Amino acid sequence: MNKDIEKLLFNPIRLRVISFLMSVETSNFKALIEITESSKGNLSVQLKKLNEAGLINIEKYFQKSYPTTDYSITKKGKDSFEEFYKQLISYK
Amino acid sequence: MTKEEQLNIINDAIKQTKSNLKPLGYNLIFWSIVIISMSLFHYFFPQIVQYSFYSSTIYWVSIPILGMVYTTYYNIKTGNKIGYETQLDRVIRIIWGVFGLAWIFTVGISLLYNINPVQDILFLLAIVLIMTGLIVKFHNITIGGIGLLIFTVYTYYNPGINLLLVNVIGISFGMLIPGLSLYLQKTDE
Repeated sequence: MNKDIEKLLFNPIRLRVISFLMSVETSNFKALIEITESSKGNLSVQLKKLNEAGLINIEKYFQKSYPTTDYSITKKGKDSFEEFYKQLISYK
Repeated sequence: MTKEEQLNIINDAIKQTKSNLKPLGYNLIFWSIVIISMSLFHYFFPQIVQYSFYSSTIYWVSIPILGMVYTTYYNIKTGNKIGYETQLDRVIRIIWGVFGLAWIFTVGISLLYNINPVQDILFLLAIVLIMTGLIVKFHNITIGGIGLLIFTVYTYYNPGINLLLVNVIGISFGMLIPGLSLYLQKTDE
């Protein structure tokens, strides 16, 4: 497995985000804060890192003049997570 | 972080994903009440609803369209509040969206050819309810849909039956009662 991805998923917030996005179609920022129980600033940084690695998509748009952001997992993100999970299980 | 801790994080995150079926229950109740109220009003006050050639059509098209606008707004608002959409939520949204389009198409055809669309709409509704019940694994909706389907087929063999009362009985048992049981069910499973 790609060492960079493994290192990326070693962070509990990033791992929680990826695991959650694996089981939903899309999520907004508010739901991710609740799931990760982290601060807005910290979560934003972690989401940016996941996005830069190509593991998640960030879609920004306006809803009733308010900026809204939706997050979803990419194909690369799914594949990486599956590989990561298989590795974890094999160690168990 | 140990492998065990990593697995716990993954399990916790996945466990927190739940399809919230309460909005679906609310939609079913809302539409049941709208259709039953409209049918009863039409049944008891035909002189008002049918005072001119087009008044009945306007009555049966404009109010459901207003209902569609309201439920679309409600579903967007609820979706934002929940914050995420599961695959199951997406499937249900698409199925009912297609039903909405089919309703518009059926009403359009019925206006063109001057036919009563009630039985066709109830037939479509029954199929969508059965599909929804099977997908969300909620037996009351499936049974309601099957009941509505049988009832609709029965009306085809009884052409003299009052279609407004058919609406009231079919929707009450096929949609309102299952919708209420879905809305009131405990979600902390």
